[in-house]
Amino acid sequence: MMDCKIIKDRLVNFIENKVSQEQYVEINKHLETCDSCKSDFIEMKELLGVLSSEPVELPSENLRKNFEQVLYQEKQQSRVVRFAPPFTSNKFLKYAAGFALLLSTFLFGRYQQTQKFDERVSELRSENLSNKQAVMLALMENESASKRIQGVQYIEEFSNPDPEIVKALVKRMLYDENTNVRLTAVNALEAFISSEAVKDGFIKALETEKDPAIQISIIKSLVKIQEKKALKPMQKLLEQDETQSFIKDEIKTVLTNNI
Amino acid sequence: MSQLTDEELMQRVSQGELDLMTVLFDRYHVRIFNFFNKMVQNKMVSEDLTQDVFVKILKYRTSYKSGNFASWIFTTARNIFSTYYQKLKKDREKFTESEHLKHTEDVVSESNQEELNHLQKALSYLNHSDRELIIMNRFQEIKYEQIAEITGSNENAVKVKTHRALKKLKDIYFKTVAD
Repeated sequence: MMDCKIIKDRLVNFIENKVSQEQYVEINKHLETCDSCKSDFIEMKELLGVLSSEPVELPSENLRKNFEQVLYQEKQQSRVVRFAPPFTSNKFLKYAAGFALLLSTFLFGRYQQTQKFDERVSELRSENLSNKQAVMLALMENESASKRIQGVQYIEEFSNPDPEIVKALVKRMLYDENTNVRLTAVNALEAFISSEAVKDGFIKALETEKDPAIQISIIKSLVKIQEKKALKPMQKLLEQDETQSFIKDEIKTVLTNNI
Repeated sequence: MSQLTDEELMQRVSQGELDLMTVLFDRYHVRIFNFFNKMVQNKMVSEDLTQDVFVKILKYRTSYKSGNFASWIFTTARNIFSTYYQKLKKDREKFTESEHLKHTEDVVSESNQEELNHLQKALSYLNHSDRELIIMNRFQEIKYEQIAEITGSNENAVKVKTHRALKKLKDIYFKTVAD
């Protein structure tokens, strides 16, 4: 005879007809006489029913688009590898050619006007920079929050960012729906707080931001530069009921000590 | 191309026929997306994580060695989930409010099927390994033998653990229904 514990262990298999004929008969018989097992059986049957009725969800079209983009990039990369020049066994020739190339480049460089070179280098640099800028701006508009964060963090590539980039970052800080994106934008912009546009952005964010972690970051940045214009929105935060108490404490210390 | 098995396709992808990855994407992306969506209950995050799975598979294509493709892709998905989860845990310590939980509530209130809501809620009370087993076994209909391969366990242990997880889910489910 099977006891209740064994019966209960076999209920799933019993419901799904995965027990032997003998076991089936035995469990069936047991269920008629044992209320505890029977109610377990009824519940498990219902749960399995709900589990199998769970609908399959479909992802948005973005997933496919992004995948196709990744695949395309991967193909470009592997093509570069495939067409790499074959390995030549004649090492001496290779080194000689390399050396000759080096020497001729050096001589060429010597005889070129340095001015002309500098021009070309700076031209290349700015081209590279504007590429980076385009990538960053595109990433920041992406529908996925993690991509937008990636875009915001791209700021590390620029020592002296274009006003357009700063503007886009301020926009992220003020209006992005995702808290993490906004926080990343605040941290990224902190380095450029001496600029008027950024400063105004911070003050505006202080008025609109509801997330305490971000509020704290903004307050700290504004205090660092002793920004007087921040006093008014901070005062307002103090008066609002929904402001977290630790934010109020932070503001109080700031107001009495710093600015 | 569509008659080839997953394994034959992946074999050819690993040899450089990258376009065939599209066929594997067609076959698996909805399943992987649903796996994540059940685990994190957030569609946007699940899309990102699904994307990461295919990026990783493309990147490490040459390391594929003719094993069962479904096991391989689910192993990758599990690793990506665990990396995501560790990061989420760290972020939660940093932020006072969690985006993830907010989204969970949205999902629950959007759906009007009461039973499924209960199920969703009950699932979220289970720990990860139990939830994962139920998702793989019940929603994804992966065989015990294969789950054992994915989780690095043996078939019998997986069977016992899955049944135990189902029992736990049943108790939570009917307790929350009764409340």
